Formats: sequence, C-alpha cells, structure tokens
Amino acid sequence: MGGAGGFWVPGPEGKGLQAKISDEGSSLHPLLPPPCIIQSCWSLHRAQRALLETPSSRRLSSQTKTTARRRSQRIRSIGKLAHVQASGYLEEQTPRTLLKNILLTAPESSIVMPKSVVKPGPVPQVVQPSSRESSRGSLELQLPELEPPTTLAPGLLAPGRRKQRLRLSVFQEGMDKGLPLSQESRGNADASSLTSSLNLTFATPLQPQSVQRPGLARRPPTRRAVDVGAFLQDLRDTSLALAPPDTVLEDTQPFSQPLVGRSPSVHHSLPCPSHSGAEDAERAVSHRTRSTGPRLQNNSPGKPAQLLAGKAEVDALAMNFPNTSSSIFGEVGVEPLQDGVGGEAEERTEKSLSMSKVKEAARARGSARAQEPEGHTQVTEAEGSQGAIETKEPEGSSGDCPTSSRRVSPELASSTPEFLQAKRIQGLEPAPPPSTAVLPSEPLEPLSARLPPRARTPGPKACQNPYKTGLSHYAKLFSFYAKMPMEKKALEMVEKCLDKYFQHLCDDLEMFAAHAGRKTVRPEDLELLMRRQGLVTDQVSLHVLVERHLPLEYRQLLIPCAFSGNSVFPAQ
Amino acid sequence: MVLSTTVSQRKHIKRKAPRGFLKRVFKRQKPHLRLETSGDLLMHLNCLLFVHRLAEESRTNACENKCGIIKKEHVLAAAKVILKKSRG
Repeated sequence: MGGAGGFWVPGPEGKGLQAKISDEGSSLHPLLPPPCIIQSCWSLHRAQRALLETPSSRRLSSQTKTTARRRSQRIRSIGKLAHVQASGYLEEQTPRTLLKNILLTAPESSIVMPKSVVKPGPVPQVVQPSSRESSRGSLELQLPELEPPTTLAPGLLAPGRRKQRLRLSVFQEGMDKGLPLSQESRGNADASSLTSSLNLTFATPLQPQSVQRPGLARRPPTRRAVDVGAFLQDLRDTSLALAPPDTVLEDTQPFSQPLVGRSPSVHHSLPCPSHSGAEDAERAVSHRTRSTGPRLQNNSPGKPAQLLAGKAEVDALAMNFPNTSSSIFGEVGVEPLQDGVGGEAEERTEKSLSMSKVKEAARARGSARAQEPEGHTQVTEAEGSQGAIETKEPEGSSGDCPTSSRRVSPELASSTPEFLQAKRIQGLEPAPPPSTAVLPSEPLEPLSARLPPRARTPGPKACQNPYKTGLSHYAKLFSFYAKMPMEKKALEMVEKCLDKYFQHLCDDLEMFAAHAGRKTVRPEDLELLMRRQGLVTDQVSLHVLVERHLPLEYRQLLIPCAFSGNSVFPAQ
Repeated sequence: MVLSTTVSQRKHIKRKAPRGFLKRVFKRQKPHLRLETSGDLLMHLNCLLFVHRLAEESRTNACENKCGIIKKEHVLAAAKVILKKSRG
C-alpha cells in the first residue's frame, strides 16, 4: 500500500481523499448516490476516519505509512466487521439486501451520533483483511469523499453506477496494489464491507469476539463425580506442579502474564490470600472453601474461575488448600496449586501450564532442574507423572508444596483422567517440588521413597559392566521384537549371539575397508555389508531401512536432505 | 526417561543408539581402524535388523514347537540360521 499515487494528507475530511484521488489522476466518473445514503454513509465514514486518522497520523511518521496504517486500521475495523458479517451474511445477502440493511439501520446523518456509535467499531482488530478488503476499505472510505461519485451504499441498484464504482475501485486497487481484481468480487466486497462498516457502527456484534477467539469463550465446566479413592490416590501420588491455566486463558500470551503474575502472586499468596486475588481469587476461595473434600465442586467452579483469574486466584486457592492440608504452602505451593487447578482447563491451559510452569519453576525456584525439562517433555506420558513427581519432589524449595500440589493434582485426576494426567505431569514437572525433608504429610513419603531407588537403578549396572549393559540393551530390543514372553536364559543366549555378531561385524567392516584401501570404516562399507547380508536389495534401499527403523534425529544425520540456501545436510 | 507401565512402551522410548558402546566395541575389536561419525549409526541399524531377524526366527521356532514362551533352544537354533545369513 502506501501512497502510490501521492500524498495522503490528513486534512479535512474530503480534501485528503480528493487530493489522493486527484493525484492519481482518477479517471473516475462521479456517481450520484441517493443523497440520504450518501449523507449517512459519508458522515459515518468521516467520523470513522477522524477517529482512525488522528491516532494513526500521530503515530506514524511517514505519509505513506500513515496512509497505509490508516487504511489498514480502517480496513481492520471495517474488515473485521466485514469479516464477521461477510462470513455470515455475504453468501445469503445480495447487494440489494445489504443496501436495505443500511437503509434500515442507518441513523440520522449526524456527525455526533455516528461518532459515539462508531467508537466500538473502529477498534483495531486482529483480523487481517485481505488486500482486497483493504483496497475495498480504502476505496469505500474514499467513496464518501467523492461526494457525487461512487455510491457508498453497496449494491447501488443502478447498474451503470455500479459499473462506474467498480471501475473506480479497480482503478484504486490498481493504483494501490496493482492487483487486478474481478469486478464481481470487488463489487460484492465493496458492498459487504460497506454494509459491514455501516452495520458495524449501528450494531456492534459481540459475537465476533468469541467467534474469532473461540478459545476464550467460557465453557460450562464439566462436572464429574469424584471418586474418593482415586482422589486419595492422586493425592498421594501427585506432587505439586500445576500450571496456572487461568493466566493462560486470560491473555493470549501465556508467557508474559505467568511470569509477571506469578512472582508477585507468589510472594503475596500467603500473606493476604483474600487480597491477592481479584474477584476471581475470592471466587476461587469461595469455591474452595465450599468443598474442600469433594474436589468436583472445586474443580468445576474453580475451573472457570481459574481460567479467568490470574495467579491471584490460584494463590487464593492455594490458601484454601492449606486450610485442608496441614501446612501452608510457600510460593512454590501456590504455583503447583495453580497448575493443578488449571490443569482442568482445555488444551491451551495444558500448553500454557507446561510452558508457564517451566518458566515459573526456573524463575521462582531459581533452579532450573534438568529433570524439569525432561519431565516437561514427558508430559504426554500419563504414566510418567508419578515418576516426574518423584523427581520433582526433592528439588522443590519448600516442602509444603507437594501437599498442596498433590491435592491439586488429585482434583485434576478426578475431573478428567487423561487431561489431568497430562496436565498433572506438566504441572508437576515444571514446578519444582519442595525439599524432601520438609514433606510432612504421608503422601510425600511414598514419593520420596520412590525417588531414591529410581536414582540408583541406572548407576551400578552401567559401571560394573558397560559391555554387558550395551548387550542387554539389544537384548531388550530382542524381547520387544519377539512380542512373546521369554526365559531369562534365552535372553542370555541372545546376548551371546550378539557378541558373536559384533565380532563378525567388525571383521567384515575391516575387510571392506581394506578392500577399498582405507583405514577408516565409512558408511559405504556399512551399506555394502547390509547389501551382502540381504537387507538392502534393489527393491529396498538403505534409506528406506533408515527411515523405517531409526528415529528422526538419526535419519536426519544419515539421509542427506536439502535445506534452504542451497545447502545439503549432511554434506556429501 | 519416563517410567512406563508397559514394557513395550519402555522399549519404544529407548530408541537411542548406544553410540558410545558401539564405538568402544569397534575400537576394542579393531584398534587400528577408525570409524566415521555416521558409521556407528548404521552399525546400530545393522544391529537392530539383526536382532529383528533373530527375534522373528526365534518366535517362529517357538510357535512351531507350540510353545508360548521363547526358550533357549529356540533362540539357539535361530541364531545359527541368522548368523549364517549375516555373514558378509
């Protein structure tokens, strides 16, 4: 965009537009729309433009940018409505009906009224209008200026006028974008956008908000009967780590708020739970207090509340938890609670939880554990939750957290098994559990008991016999491929065979390398070996085997692939 | 690694190639030779395919004997065949 033809001077309403058009040497023939329509439309547009231009002109330095920005703003406001309405209406409505709508909904042509009405309209929208739309928008804005000329009302019935308008639009668009636009689409677009813009001011649809951001729409909380046994089990099993779904849901940038929100809320959580939260927090508190036992209630109301509220809410919730639990949680506890409560939210909560939790953990705790990221990756694995919790336990800064988090996690579990599990893991993993020593309640004990053996397992065996470890790795793969139960002796047999196999392998590779006069074994030797073994045939190439059996990371290393910049990796 | 409740899942997770192990094995066997970087990945692929064939053969043997469990004898017989096949 930009002033293709000339300057966009934000002068008095008509002049700028006219100047632009005249600069571009418009060969447009002014059309004479019905005066009432023109008046209303024009005043509307004028008001809109005034609103839009002023801020934009201030902001933008360059004229072209201003022009483009203004246009885009207008377009956005128009386009948004157009987008919303067009999507719904355009197909059914004809230009005639659109015009009828305008006539019906158009207010008295006064500058004052449209302004007030217009305000909600030209709210900058996220919707990015297409170039067509933008051109349409600009065109339409210009239309009113041209007073006599192009009819603002879409679908002016006079075909001649429409043709002329289209020509103007064509010219405009051609000037602006240089894109050829079909007459029909243009006409419809103009009509729709115009109508939309007009309709926008008069009837600001609240729908678009939720339509465009379906994720933000509140969903009725799914209430599930709480299984007390499962709940208690979860209490014991799960640890803290909860992501604040509410923060995520509240704003579309999960990273910004959680970081900001958490730290203050964390600090303030304990001292003044009632004050920390906004209405949500209080609501959450009330929710919590309402039923500490039956998590279901808490979950259901807590869910939407949490979604809306920020950390404060979670803090409030966390505060509630201490009521039920023995200890009051520190900041760490609050976060796990948040995670736990938030876990019930939708998938975005999940994502935000994990992300925010990870961040939170890193920052609040000040200790970015290696396990957290790995635990984070394991989010998808439901079973991993327990393990993650265990690993997290010792890391946490405050011992109280696990209790609260554990409580929270059970809630999650009760409401949505798979969701909860994934979320629990996410929440639990990122939030570093408090120190094991502080874990007072019994649920902590089994977790802490579980932790040490887990840490011990890989150590001794690997140290004793690395060769045996490597062979056992392949033996396990054997049992996996066999898909049948096996005897221990059979596994030992497999390991012996593997040993022999490795010997043969090395001998063959040495032979091949020597045959090629090399002292280094290269991948070509390997490929030749596989060919001789009958694994690689004319039908089945090495790359096929690589793709079938190796994970992606190794595939990337083995199979040369072209990347941008005319580069191939790995280089050949 | 995540603790998985099922065995197969654990195997699935552990798709990592023990590159250090393979390099060490090769070095032990042939100290005067060198192995390239991608070579050990292909070696791992080769091992996987060997183990795969061995498992298939063992399972076939066990099924022929109408056994629900793979026994040492099955594995032994299978190993004979497969090792013969794997001779470069």
